[in-house]
Amino acid sequence: MTATAIPLLELRGITKRFPGVLALDDVSLTLHAGEVHMLMGENGAGKSTLMKVLCGAYTADAGQILADGQPVRVRHAADARALGVAVIFQEYSLVPHLSIAHNIFLGREPLNRLGLIDHVRMHAKARGVLARLNLDLDTQREVQGLGVAQQQMVEIAKALSQNARVLVLDEPTAALSDRETQRLFEVIGELRKQGVAMVYISHRMDEVFSLGDRVTVLRDGKYVATLRAGDATPDELVTLMVGRKVDMSYHRGERPAPGECLLEVRGVSAVNGIRDVSLKVHAGEIVGLSGLVGSGRTEVARAIFGADKLTAGEVRFAGQPLRSSPTHARQLGLGLIPESRKQQGLALMRTVCDNLLLAGLKRLFPSNVYQPGRGHAEGRRRIAQLRIATPGPRTPVQSLSGGNQQKVVIGKWLVAGTRLFIFDEPTRGIDVGAKEEIFRQIDELVRQGCAVLMISSELGEVVRVCDRAYVMKERALAGELGGEQLTEANLLRLAMHHG
Amino acid sequence: MNFVAIKSDNSPLRSRFDSVSGAAWLLVGLCAVFSVLAPSFLSGANLVNVLLQATILLLLALPMTLIILTEGLDLSMGAVLSLCTVVLAVVQIDSGSIVLGLTAALAVAIAFGLFNGLLVAAFDLPPFVVTLGTLGAAQGLALVAAEGRTTMGVAEGLRWFWDGNWLGLPVPLWLAALTWAVIHVLLYHTRFGARVFALGGNREALRFGGITVKWSLLWVYVLGGVCVGLASLLLTARVNGGHPTVAIGLEFDAIAAVAVGGTAFERGKGGLTGTVLGVLAVGVMRNGLNLLSMPSSVQVAAVGAVVIIALWIDSARGKA
Repeated sequence: MTATAIPLLELRGITKRFPGVLALDDVSLTLHAGEVHMLMGENGAGKSTLMKVLCGAYTADAGQILADGQPVRVRHAADARALGVAVIFQEYSLVPHLSIAHNIFLGREPLNRLGLIDHVRMHAKARGVLARLNLDLDTQREVQGLGVAQQQMVEIAKALSQNARVLVLDEPTAALSDRETQRLFEVIGELRKQGVAMVYISHRMDEVFSLGDRVTVLRDGKYVATLRAGDATPDELVTLMVGRKVDMSYHRGERPAPGECLLEVRGVSAVNGIRDVSLKVHAGEIVGLSGLVGSGRTEVARAIFGADKLTAGEVRFAGQPLRSSPTHARQLGLGLIPESRKQQGLALMRTVCDNLLLAGLKRLFPSNVYQPGRGHAEGRRRIAQLRIATPGPRTPVQSLSGGNQQKVVIGKWLVAGTRLFIFDEPTRGIDVGAKEEIFRQIDELVRQGCAVLMISSELGEVVRVCDRAYVMKERALAGELGGEQLTEANLLRLAMHHG
Repeated sequence: MNFVAIKSDNSPLRSRFDSVSGAAWLLVGLCAVFSVLAPSFLSGANLVNVLLQATILLLLALPMTLIILTEGLDLSMGAVLSLCTVVLAVVQIDSGSIVLGLTAALAVAIAFGLFNGLLVAAFDLPPFVVTLGTLGAAQGLALVAAEGRTTMGVAEGLRWFWDGNWLGLPVPLWLAALTWAVIHVLLYHTRFGARVFALGGNREALRFGGITVKWSLLWVYVLGGVCVGLASLLLTARVNGGHPTVAIGLEFDAIAAVAVGGTAFERGKGGLTGTVLGVLAVGVMRNGLNLLSMPSSVQVAAVGAVVIIALWIDSARGKA
C-alpha cells in the first residue's frame, strides 16, 4: 500500500450540524483500496454520523468528498451507491418474508421484457454473488429463517452485488459466535484481495489489532488521529478516544469475604435447553458467567429468574426455593438486568424517576397509594447515589446515553430491594469511560452486601471484575474458575474445549 | 450497539404454506360442520351461491391484503362501497348510461383511495385513524346522496354483471378471477409488490428508495379504491340498485378473511392464496349460518370468533 497512491475515497473537513449540537467538526478520513480502516471512538463521537454523510443519508454542512481524487457530490443514497459505497447496518435492512435472492436485489430486481420480475435470472445472479463469498445457501429461503450471521452475509452479498468498492461495517461481530466471526474475517480477507476498502467500526480491541490496517479515532465530533494499527497500543487508542488518561486501573481492591450463600442452583435443566447446571453465588461476590454466544448463559439467567420453566433441579435464594415466577424472584430480592435494556429493562417513554420506581412500587408504597413526594425523593436519591447524568428526574429515559440508561436499570432494582443482581452483558454498547463507571457501580453493590452474577462475552472484563467465573458450553456447565485460574485463556479453553 | 437481526423462527420456507394450510383446514372444517347441520349446504345451487357471494368480498379482501401487508388498514371500504352503489345507481338511472354510472362510481372510489393514501403516505398519519375518518365521511355522503333520489331499478345491462354468464361461468367469477390475476402479478412479479412486502416487513430496507416508497404506499390505497369501484358494480347489479348502508361492515369481513388467511398485521407476512381461502371460509360461515336462519348479529359474532381462533392457532404455532 503505497502512501502516495490516490485514495479510493476521501472525506475532507466534514462538518455537520444539528439543532443544538455540532455532530462533526472538520473531520477527515482517507480510504485506500484493499485496506481495513478501523474507526473508533466513544458513543457520540460521531462515527455513525460520519458514515451517514458518506452514504448519503446526511448532507454535510461543510467539507468535501473525493472519489479517486475527484470531488463528488453525495446528496442522496443513490449518489453514494453510484460511487460504490455500501453500508452494512447495525439494524437489519432485510425484508423478512422475501427470499434471499430477492433481498439481495431489492429495488434492483432484474426485469423481463414484460417489465415483470425475472425470478429465474434473479436467483441465478444471487447464487453467483453468494458463491463469491463461499456461501452455500438456498436462495429461495425466506430471510426470516436465517441465523444472525447468515443474515449478515446476505447483507454483504447485497452490497457486493452493487459492486461496492467501499464497505462500511458497523460492529459486525457484536452478535456473532467465534466461528461465525472467523468466517466473517475470511470474507473480509476475500474482499480485501478484491480491492474493496472497508471502514470497520468496532469497540473490540482485539479485532482492531488483528484486522485493521489503520485506525482513525474520533472524539466529540472531532478528528483526533489516524495511526497504523501496527504502531499503536490499546492504551494509546483508549487515551485518544477518551481524551484523558483513562483510569483503566479500576481494580478489585479489597472486598469483604463472601457472606451467606444467596443463590444456589442445583442440577437445573429448563425448557430453554440448559442441562444440569449448578452454581452458587454468595453475598459480596461478583461471579461471572462466561461462554460463547449461544452457550446458554442468558438461558441460565432466565431459568434462575423464573422467566423460563425448569424441567429438573431447583433454585434456592437465601435458602428459600424459588417458584418459576419472576414476580416471586423479585419479591425475594432477585433482579435481572437484561441484555437488551431498551427492549426489556426500560419504559423508554417514561421519565427517569418513573423507571427507577417501576419495580419497587409495592415495596415503597405497601398501602398501594402512590405518594409523589416520597416517590420523587427516592428517585432523586438514587440518581445521586448512582451518579446518573440526567438533566432531572423528569427527563424521558430514552434521551439518556447508553451508560446512564444502564444505571437507571440498576437503580430500578435497587429500589426494589434487590440483593442479588443478574447482569446480562452489562457493558454492551457502552463506551470505554462509562464502562469503568459501571464496574464501579457493580463494585459498590457488592461492597454493600449484595451479590452479582455477571454474564459477559468480554473475557477481559470477566477476569478484571469477577471473583470467580463459571463457564458455559453448549447449554451445560463446562467448569468453574477462580483465583489464579481465572484468566482469559482458561476461560476460552473451557468455553471451547471438549469434555 | 448490536446488530439487531430478524428474530429467526427456524422454520424453512414453508412457513407461508403452514398458515395457508391452516386456513384450508378451517374451510374444510366449516364445510363439514355445515353440511351436517344444514342439509341444503352441499347442494349445487347453494355452493354456487357461496362462490357468487364471495366474489364481492374477494374484491375487497385482495387489496386489503396488500394494505395489511404494509401494516395498514382500510376501514372505509364498506362505507365507500355503499356510497359507490348509490352513485352508480343514481347516475345510471338519471343519465340512462351504464358507462357514465360506472365511471362516476370508480371516480368516487378512487378519490377516496387517493385521499386515504395521501394522508397515510404523505402525511404519515396512522391508517386506522385515517380510514376511520373516511368511513364516517363516506357513510355520511352516501346517506345524503341517496336522500330523495331514485336509487332502485337499474338498467338490465347493469344487472347482467351479476346475473349474466360468459363462457358458461357467472360474470362475477370472471371479474373476481381477473382481479385476482392482476393483483397476483402486481404482488409477486413486480418491484411494486416487493416494496409492499418491504413496507410491512422492514421499511428501513427501503430507506434508499426515497420517494418511490411513498408512492407505493399511496398506490396500495388507490388500488383499494379501484377494487371498491369494481365491487360496487357487482353489488349494485346484485341488489338492483344502490343503497347507502348496503355494504356496512363489509370491511370487517374482508379484514377477517385476510387475517384468517394468514396475513399478519405486522412484519409483512402473508399472501393472496391465504386470502382467497379466508374469503371462502368467511363466505361459508355466513352462508351456513344463513341456512340455519341465524340472525345477522350471530353471523358477525361468528366471523369475529373465527378470526380470534385463527390468530390464536397462528400464535400457538409461534408464528404470529
